[in-house]
This record gives sequence, structure tokens and C-alpha cells, in this order.
Amino acid sequence: MEERKFTSEMVDDYADKLLIGLTREENQMVLDEFDVIDAQIDIINEIPNIADVPPMTHCLDDFTYELREDEEEESISIDDALANCDDYAGDEIKVPKVVG
Amino acid sequence: MEDYQVLIGLEMHCEISETKTKVFSSAKNGYSEEPNSHIRPVDMAFPGTLPVVNKEAVKLALKASMILHCTQPEYMYFERKNYYYPDLPKGFQITQETKPAPVGSYGYLDFECKGESKRVRINNIHLEEDAASTDHYPTFSTIDYNRAGVPLLELVTEPDLHSAEEAVAFLETMRSIYQYAGISEADSRKGQIRCDVNVSIMDKGKDASNPKNWGTKVEIKNVNSFGGVRDAINYEIERQIALKEDGTYDEMEQQTRRWDEDTFSTIYMRSKVDAIDYKYFVEPNIPKFKLSPDWLESIRASIPELAPERKEKYEKVYHLSSYDAQVLVKEKAVSDYYEETISLGADPKGAANWITSVILGYLNKEELEIKDLYLTPTMLVDLMDMVKSGKISSKQSKEVLNKVLEEKKAPKEIVKKLGVTQISDDKTIRDIVVKVLDEHPDLIEDHRKGKNTFDFFVGQVMKATRGQANPSLTAQIIHEEIDKR
Amino acid sequence: MTYMDKGLVEIHEALKSGKVTSQELISESLKKSKEVQEKCNAFVTILEDAKETPVTEDILSGIPYGIKDNYSTKGILSTGSSNTLKDYVPFFTATAISNLESHGAVAVNKTVMDEFGMGGTGTTGHTGIVKNPWDQTRMCAGSSAGSAAAVAAGVYPYATGSDTGDSIRKPAAYCGIVGYKPTYGMISRYGLFPFASSLDHCGVLARSVEDAAIVVDGMKGIDKNDMTSWDSSNMHLYDSLTKDIKGKKVCTIKEIADISMYPNASSELKEHLENFHNTLKHFQDLGVEVEEVSVDQTLLNALASVYVVISCAEATSNMSNLTGIIFGPRSDADNYIDMMKNYRTTGFSPLIKRRFVIGSYVLQAQNKDRYFHNAQRVRRLLVDRWKEIFKNYDAVILPVGSGPAKKFDEDKDMLDHNTQVLEEHLQVGNFGGFPSITIPDGFVSGLPVGINITGNCYDDINVLNIAYALESTMPYKNQIVKEEH
Repeated sequence: MEERKFTSEMVDDYADKLLIGLTREENQMVLDEFDVIDAQIDIINEIPNIADVPPMTHCLDDFTYELREDEEEESISIDDALANCDDYAGDEIKVPKVVG
Repeated sequence: MEDYQVLIGLEMHCEISETKTKVFSSAKNGYSEEPNSHIRPVDMAFPGTLPVVNKEAVKLALKASMILHCTQPEYMYFERKNYYYPDLPKGFQITQETKPAPVGSYGYLDFECKGESKRVRINNIHLEEDAASTDHYPTFSTIDYNRAGVPLLELVTEPDLHSAEEAVAFLETMRSIYQYAGISEADSRKGQIRCDVNVSIMDKGKDASNPKNWGTKVEIKNVNSFGGVRDAINYEIERQIALKEDGTYDEMEQQTRRWDEDTFSTIYMRSKVDAIDYKYFVEPNIPKFKLSPDWLESIRASIPELAPERKEKYEKVYHLSSYDAQVLVKEKAVSDYYEETISLGADPKGAANWITSVILGYLNKEELEIKDLYLTPTMLVDLMDMVKSGKISSKQSKEVLNKVLEEKKAPKEIVKKLGVTQISDDKTIRDIVVKVLDEHPDLIEDHRKGKNTFDFFVGQVMKATRGQANPSLTAQIIHEEIDKR
Repeated sequence: MTYMDKGLVEIHEALKSGKVTSQELISESLKKSKEVQEKCNAFVTILEDAKETPVTEDILSGIPYGIKDNYSTKGILSTGSSNTLKDYVPFFTATAISNLESHGAVAVNKTVMDEFGMGGTGTTGHTGIVKNPWDQTRMCAGSSAGSAAAVAAGVYPYATGSDTGDSIRKPAAYCGIVGYKPTYGMISRYGLFPFASSLDHCGVLARSVEDAAIVVDGMKGIDKNDMTSWDSSNMHLYDSLTKDIKGKKVCTIKEIADISMYPNASSELKEHLENFHNTLKHFQDLGVEVEEVSVDQTLLNALASVYVVISCAEATSNMSNLTGIIFGPRSDADNYIDMMKNYRTTGFSPLIKRRFVIGSYVLQAQNKDRYFHNAQRVRRLLVDRWKEIFKNYDAVILPVGSGPAKKFDEDKDMLDHNTQVLEEHLQVGNFGGFPSITIPDGFVSGLPVGINITGNCYDDINVLNIAYALESTMPYKNQIVKEEH
């Protein structure tokens, strides 16, 4: 079998950077699903002149719109801002100490 | 030091302070003591909120791009820079990373350092959003979202600077541009300016225009004052030279360090190998925006006179010395004050003297800014007019000014209150002169013989008028009366 | 007499004539909600205190409906069917929902979905799996599973949905109802919890084309909070409905719909495709020409991966705001990294976590071009191909899925090679932002199946009319679950 592009260690490393933990089974499922995708991407790479196609970054790019005028809207209230927060001090959200 | 040349590149972040609202949110753009008082839902990334681009922020960013001789993109768009940090509510920052997204690419800026003209190439300037601010307590930190979403301009130079002085001179020039163009107060004390500095050294004599000859790049993150930039660069140059002399320079890896003000040194953070992958991609919620040539033209036309143009005007039209002109244009607020004074009819040279010698000295001593000065340009003009018309003497005017600033009352009021006013009436002075001369016929003789008794006569007149006689008129009348005898 | 199993116009007329009140409709809908909750687990929240609204000329006034739980609703729990937001009560309402409110529509429940829309089974919501009201051993498909189940079961005439791949149009088929997503940007996404911003659409699940048109008329409109929304005030979907589509030309795609493409086809698949081709024959009676076109098999084979790559990449970024700091149940930890990590690890379902890792991989600097950019390139090729088809045809007509609703033990969320194109082709409608509608077209194994009509951007009226006319040739309009089937 060809050497894997995406290894179990890499999966864990990526998950860690996304601030999520994976079980062994979940890790394996990522690899299995990835293999299917990777094989299909191989097909894409065989499309002639694929590199010349501009990536489609937006759903629609053919309509006109205006940038927002610089007009202020009222601030939301502190009560609304903090209503769903489990930990705050005074009017500010509290987190474990953040060090540089 | 003389064996090496230094290459310095800067990344200068400056908040745009001159919009009413934030860059992707319609919350107020402005500092507040009250935490979380300038927020719209998108600033705290509540689920389902979307960024909406502020036209004025784009306009000001384009203005900066034009001043820096950059190319503006045909279509403007934004990208996401993804990373996790408690001050970044969305988990990504909306920015412009990949060309041609930035509002400006590949420009340059000419600036002066120690009387020499220098040019630095600009790689790009882009518009992005600021993060929230955090406060730190012994066991926890708190987050205030007022700053989240404030428009930020990031300017990236090529490594064309060669000393700490050049770097600081460049930054001061940029600050002046931001102020003059009405983009930002650019006040580092308010945390509006933050810099990352790249420093590398290479052997002297090699061609610095060839990147192959460059040394290993060290990036110093988050330097928040111009003084810090200067000190961090100087520290880093010495540190790198020491490595060269040790013979260990080649082992140094490309790295990121941070400037620590307490230890006055740069501290290792991470190697290039551990650089964060920000997984940039185009922000799908902000459509690509075509920058119309008409709009760009109207923005270009709205660029005001900047410091170098004003300085030239002061020298050529107002005949000020280069030094005085430089002092006046250094801070836009001072220059504006000067221009307003002139527009009210003041003599340009006189006004320049007042501002450079008296007013700036006072502000410096009191640690005030010109916007805090009680004396308005109108009051300054009144004061200058009173001297010009002979109502008060030049010497008196200084006293009047001191009282104006002390008591916060208009010059006219002070003059009235102190009773300081100059006697410029011919007959009044002449009567006194005649009386003084009559009392000292011997001294008139001495005067004719060539002895200097003239000052004595002036002194006597001043004594008799408690210093209020117009000095030049007094001298003239004394001459006339002596000649008559 | 029940009303919640009727069409909007009929209910509206009953309200107008005083045969029934809004309050009575609400009571009927709430009662039915509880029955369906018992049977299908379709709701996250049932709004027991839903208030009647005045009956006006507006068809939607006074009539109950359901909201998919990824729409932000002020003062009402909005979870996106995720543990990460299990207690989240927003302080603002999604634009599409406030638009419906302004038409007098009455929300009576929030419906279960696949967590944040990331899934096509209706089995990954934090409140458990949603069962198909036609057969409770089968899934509804997803992600708008609860909305589809409730509308099919006659809880109310319509519910909102969202569609990133086929999340409205697939469950509509599996539940024997109508699912319509209009052109991207016709309905504002402000307040819709994002899955993949460049693919996410708001839309509706209803029991007739007429009702779908009425509801989208009520949801749509340009929104200053969504830059990708556009002004459709000159488009009146309901008023424009006509069954006269004589002279129109539609096509189907050989590589997707022809039975010869599936040599190992199951009997259900054969039956499904046969039914599809029989439905196409109805177009003859309507005076519509039907042709078959070909699309490059390579593009079609890549379709599913294009979707996974783009949607996972955007999703991993969009859901980076879910850290538990501002909203969501805070995790205990003595440092902020572990705090966020605990929250995310316990809050997200395994499926989502897997997708995030894939999304992150394809965005890494060294992988981005091969995976993400190539996927975006093929997205363009597919959209360009469809647009080319739309030059010659008013719509593309295709079967939905490979048959009727699947049993719970068949996992749909892993990519299956054999019938993949048939299962995933509706995603092209999201790639291009095309208006796309699914209507029921018969039964296979006693369960409903659907047919899809997709047209060019902004051509919603045309798409609706083709669906409206086709619907009129079949007996499935206002179809309600028949248990004995």
C-alpha cells in the first residue's frame, strides 16, 4: 500500500489545533473518509488545464451591491451581550488567565 | 558593527480612528471607558451574524494605498485568517492576505532621516479588523469587545531600512501621513499603533538587493511604541552581531521573538518551523467588490496637502526657516493651528515665532496637546494685533499670554484687567519728555558730547509712565526734543 | 374538521370567513406537534405559549408554522441541534423569520436537524434521531429532518429549512412533500447559523408549490445585514404562478438519470428511475419538450468530493466561534485552551469533528491548492456546465436520491461509490446558487419519492411554474402521511 498522505498522528495533530479531541475510532473514520476524497481529488488533477480555472470563492458574483454607509447603530445592551455567558465579572466576560 | 549591514522590515498596524463605525459592524468606532458599550452582535460573533463592509473604512484605506504609491486591486475582497484566541470571537480575523486582495500592493514611500532622503518599498497595505482587548488579573482575564472590529490598516514594508533611526523616521512619517490624510490619530499611547519588526544582518560589501545574501530573518512581535521599535532593533542587531562574532550565527534558525520592556531584551517565542498555519481563504460572506475608476479618482482627489507639501509652502511662501517649518508640520494639529492663525490675517512669520518659541514651549512644559490649549488662533491673532498697533509692547504681550493661559480669559480681557496698555499718544509722552529734559540740562550736554545718556532719559520716561510708554515713540520724541534745544 | 393538513390559501379563507380562529389553529398545531414529537422526535422546542396574530389580507397571517432550529429566534431556545448551544437563547431574530413575523405568521415549534446542518440523515441532532412519519424505521434524510417530518405529518402547512447540499430538497422527497430553495441571496442568511457560507441557502418545506411560493415571498428581501442578499422586490412568486408552460424546454442528464448507468441497480433504484421517466412523460401533456443531455463523467464523479472539501473547509472556520466563552455551556479548566477544547470535544458530535479535521487539512498551506482550490475550480466547471445547459433549457429535471427514505442502519454520511452521483447531484444547485425545488412524484416500496427541478439564477418564477404545472398532473399536491401505505 502506498504511503499515507494523512496519518493517524496528523489527524490527532490537526484535531488538537482545532481544539477538539478524537477517539481512536473517530481518528480512523477520518482516515477512511479522507481516502475516498483523496482518490477523487486525483481524478480532478487529471482534468486538463485545471490549474487555469479561477477558483469559485462565492456563490454569486454577478450582482451589484453597495458598501455600507458609515452610520452608527445603537450598541446592544450588556444584558443581551452576557445573557448566554456562563462566566463574567462585572460587565466583562471572564476567562482563565490568558498569558502572552 | 562596521563589518555588517542591517536589513529591517516593518509591519505597522494602525487603527483607523476617523470612521464613525467599525469596519464590518455598525457599532461605534471609538474608545470607551465603559466595557462592552460599543458592540453589535457580529462583534461578539453571535451565531448567524455576518460582516458588512464599511464604505468609509475602505475609502480611507484606499487613500493610504494611494499615498504610498501602491496599486489598487480591480476587485476588492477579504480573507479569513483562522486561529483560536480568547480575544478573537469569531475564531478568525477578516483581513486581506493574498494578492491582489489588499487595498494596496507594491508601492513606496520617500521619507527623511537625519536630513537625508530615503526610499522604502511597500509590499502591501491591507484593511482588517482589530481583536477584542483583554485585561489581566492575578487569577483570570476579562474580555472587552469594544475594540473588536475596529478597522485596522496593516502596512508591510520590504527590508529596505538599515538602522533603528531609519525605522523610527519611517514610522513617524507614516504617523504624519495618517494624521494629515484624516485616516487616524495614530496615537501609540492609545494603543492605535502596533508594530512587528524583522531584523537580519549580513556581511558588508555584499549586494543587499539580492535576497540570497540576506541573513536569517528574526521577527519581533508586538512592539507598541516607536521607542520600543528603536530599542528592540538596536538590541537585536547587537544580539545577532554577537552570534556572528561567536561563530554561532549560522546555527540560528528563522524565528519569532518578542520585545520585553521589563528586561529590555527580545525573548524567543517560536521557530519558523512551528509557525501557525492560518488556513487563509476568501471570505464568502463579502462579495468581490469592483472598485470603479470614478470612485478611485474621487478618493485620489480628496487626498489633502500632507506634511512635506505644507513644509515646502512654509519655506517658499511664508519664508520660514527649514527648521521652523519642520517644527510646525511635525504634528498636524500644530500645523492646522498655524494655518488657521494665518487665515485669520496674522503675519506668517510672526505667527510662526509665537507658536514655535512660546506656545510649543508652554505645551511641552505642561505636557499638553495643542487641542487642549486655551488660547485659540483668534486670541493669538488679537494678541499679535495689539502689539502691531502699539497697544501693548512685545514684552507686555508675553506677560499677557501667561495670564491668558493661567486665568483662561481672553487677551483683551486680561489687558483691560491688568491695566497694561501702552501709551502711544504723542502729546502725553512729549509732555513727560520735556519735563525730564528740563530737569537734566547737564545730561543733554553730555549727550551732545557723545556720552550715552540717552538710555537714562528713556528710563526716566518709562519710570514716569510705569513702563507703558511706547518705546519707539518715546525714543523718537526724545531725539526731536533734544534737537529742538 | 382539521386545518393544519390543508393548503395556505384554504386556511386563510377559513380564517377570513370566521370558520376558524388563529388561536384554534395554534391549538390544533400544538396538539399535533405533541403527537408527532412522540412518534418522530421532530422538535427541539414546542412553543406552548404561541400567541395568535390578527388575520389580515396577508395569506400567512394567523397561521402556524415551524422553524428549523438553526434560525436565530429572539427569546426562544435556538440550538442548531448541537450540545454546544443546548441552552442558547438569542436576543435577535433571523431576518427571514422576522420577515415572516411581519406577515403575521405564528411560530409554534423549532425543529430538529442534523447538527448545524452537517449531515443528511436527521440522526445527528443532540435531541436524538428524527423518524420518518411514513415509516418510523426509516430516516427523513437531512438536515431539515424535523421540518420535513412535521410538514408531512400535518403539524402545519410549512416550516423553514436551510439547504447547503440538499438539506431541504432531499428530506422533502423522503417525506413526500415540496422543498424549495430559491436563488442564493434572495432570502437573507442573517441569523441563520452558518454551515458553509458560500453554499448555505434558506428555504421552505411545504406541501404544494403554491404554498412554497407564498412562504418564500414572505421570507425574502434584501437585507442590510447580509451583503450577499439582493433586491427581489420586483419578483412576486405567488402572483406569478401559472400552469401554462407550453413551449418551454427542459432536460435531464443521462449520466445521472439513465438506468443504464447503474448496472448493479437494486430493484428500488430501478423502480425509482422508472417512475422518474414516467413523470417526465407528463411534460408532453403540458407542451414541454424534454431532452437528454450529457455531462462529463469526471466532473460528476468529482462532485461529492468538491462538496465535502468546500463545505468542511468553510464549516471548520464558521464554527470556530463555538468556544463556550460568550455563549454555550462553559467548560471547566484552569487554562483557556483546555476550556475551549473540553467544550468542543464534548459539545460536537463525532461526525462534525471528523468533518472539521478534513476541512482543516484541505486548508493547510501545503494542501490548499490540491484540495481546496481544486475543489473550487471544479465547482466553477460544474456551474459553468449547468449555466451552459440553461442557455438551451429552462430547467434541469432529475430524480432525487436513489430511491425512497433509507433505513436507519444504512449510513448515508460516508461517501458510497455506486450511486453517489445520484445521491449528491443536488449539490450543484448550491454550487451555483440555482433556484431548485423538489416535488413528490410517486411511491416506491410504498414510500414517497421526489423529482427535482433546477433552473438558472434569478429564474425562480420559471422554476416554480414548471414545478407548479408538473404538480398539477399528479395526485400528490397537499399530500399528508398515510400510515397504512
